[in-house]
Amino acid sequence: MTLASLAALTALWTAPPSPAGSWRAVLDLEGAMLPFGLEISGAAAGLRARLCNGRRCEPLSGVTVRGDSVVLEIADYAATISARLEGDSLTGQYRNVGNRGPRLIPFRASRGRWPTTPAPAALVGRWDATFFSDFGSSPRVFQLRNGPEGLEGTMISNTGDYGHFAGRVSGDRFALAHFDGSFVYLLTGALHGDTLRGVFHAGLRTQTPWIAVRSTGARHLKAPTEITTADTSGPFRFAFPDLQGRVVTQSEARFQGKVVLVDIFGSWCPTCHEAAPALVRLYRKYHARGLEIVGLAYEVTGDSAIDARQVRRYRDKFHIPFPLLLAGINDTDAAGETLPQLHGFTSFPTTVFLGRDGRVRLVRAGFYGPATGAQHEHLLAAMEREVERLLAEKG
Amino acid sequence: MWLLLLTARPACAQAGLDQERAEYRRWLASSPTSPLAAVAQQPIGAGLRLGPAGADLPLPDGGEYRVLPRPGGVRLEGASGSRIMPRGAPIKAGDYTLVVDGPGGREVLTVFGPSRSSKSTAYYGPSPSFVFVGPLAPPERRGTSRVLGMDGIEVDAAEAGSVLVPIGGQRVRLRVLRLPLPGGEESELEIFFRDETNGHGTYPAGRFVSLVPAAAGRYRLDFNRARNPFCAYSSAYPCPAPWRGNAIPAAVTAGERYARGGGEAP
Repeated sequence: MTLASLAALTALWTAPPSPAGSWRAVLDLEGAMLPFGLEISGAAAGLRARLCNGRRCEPLSGVTVRGDSVVLEIADYAATISARLEGDSLTGQYRNVGNRGPRLIPFRASRGRWPTTPAPAALVGRWDATFFSDFGSSPRVFQLRNGPEGLEGTMISNTGDYGHFAGRVSGDRFALAHFDGSFVYLLTGALHGDTLRGVFHAGLRTQTPWIAVRSTGARHLKAPTEITTADTSGPFRFAFPDLQGRVVTQSEARFQGKVVLVDIFGSWCPTCHEAAPALVRLYRKYHARGLEIVGLAYEVTGDSAIDARQVRRYRDKFHIPFPLLLAGINDTDAAGETLPQLHGFTSFPTTVFLGRDGRVRLVRAGFYGPATGAQHEHLLAAMEREVERLLAEKG
Repeated sequence: MWLLLLTARPACAQAGLDQERAEYRRWLASSPTSPLAAVAQQPIGAGLRLGPAGADLPLPDGGEYRVLPRPGGVRLEGASGSRIMPRGAPIKAGDYTLVVDGPGGREVLTVFGPSRSSKSTAYYGPSPSFVFVGPLAPPERRGTSRVLGMDGIEVDAAEAGSVLVPIGGQRVRLRVLRLPLPGGEESELEIFFRDETNGHGTYPAGRFVSLVPAAAGRYRLDFNRARNPFCAYSSAYPCPAPWRGNAIPAAVTAGERYARGGGEAP
């Protein structure tokens, strides 16, 4: 056997590089590093990938490998992560495209998982934060805790929470990240005595400084029931097509004399996904006693066929037994205009509680998802109490 | 007190510049909403009629459409029915692509055609002498003002301060505005500036450049990344009015160039 044929044989047995495995990934923002995890499994054409913030992972829509080029597709957001695989590292960029051109953020990853870094007790808990931007100051609440993979938590504004953040701690400094393929959020900060100070990074280069003090229990954010108000002089009116195109209104027999929750949501809205199981549980528990729920979907495209497909997927994912109507698009101003009896509509989801007479009793803006811990439990209990109270009213 | 900006180290400043330019060229050449494909941009006001000769916006070989502000959003009405136009999302109307943008009550329609002009982009070679790092001085007065972004859409921008740049042997103060981006959390620190190359190698109306946060509370100003407003690619877009005071009495031979009808070196 010649040397040349030996080399050819060796080449035959060289496996192409595979990105399968766990990756410690990073987006290099201006002045900060956003850490997240990637889990790639399978082989060849059957590769699958998940994007992870700590223990929370979401599947990506596709993985393509050509030679040393790896492309992770995030179809929901028309975004990609493109990288070159060299040994145990991936180097490339996160890219999405808007009407002002492509947005690029440098991406890199190395094999392995991020180490678990428990947070010191001095960091854990609820913090009242103030953000300072050129447009003015605004309140936030941080809820930080130790989870199975170290520091985690969420950030809450007047209109709801920003989803699950997972992070790392080094001494008195911390970094908490939320990257879902579209939203690029990083909260960095440090403990200075009994005060936290830091910067909130949104996207590649928006930086908002903040200061936080430990919550005393006094109200720092507006109450979710004080953000949106309603005209209560008559029954709450809506008229929108269901997923079969039939227009459903508040005057249908199924809603008459019932307590009705109107869930203003969007299938694109992560917080709505967290609220959906709670609404389904309420429906199953109280429907027999007179509770009805109707979901008003405000979707992305405005194309009723595409939007209906997305809402059907949402319905099936959460096994939603109540009607979902296509009410409009996910533009807060435009959505508010379709429900003129609501004033100050600002957030998805918003839950409107109607008494048996069809009039608005309560409007709750936003939803505290499981990432908010005790606040989530408190909210679920409050919603149950409200439903019980309305069911007890005489029709 | 205005603090002097210092010249940055060239190796750091130029990282990724070639890739950014290549991506931008690809986007201009291929995106259905590339400014090279824009044929019209107009406030929607009480409504617009598109299509036949005599319409508000005549569209050769297009059908007839109406774009109407309605409760629940701007609607597109045509022979095949009516639909909502989500803000910022491209909507097909025959061979044309329509995008509604701008704040509520002041929506603007941009129409993109099936073909695009052959203009390309051209740039000065990278020059480390046009990269600066330093502080952002606070504004004399806080507040917001309405300005046109690079895509011709009016936004409410916040006064973010000013930078003092040592350029052409002088110290030039440049006003910085924070322009909001769609989505609520993101924004850009922008400088719309004029200099002595305008009309002599660069776009006559001026160029945009971003102020980028760097380490330790400082900012990077890289004129190699200066770019034309979209009105440089298509007369469909209105050009932003020059920002008060942002005239540099020197030639900024860095960033995007301009040559009427094409991107060849001027």
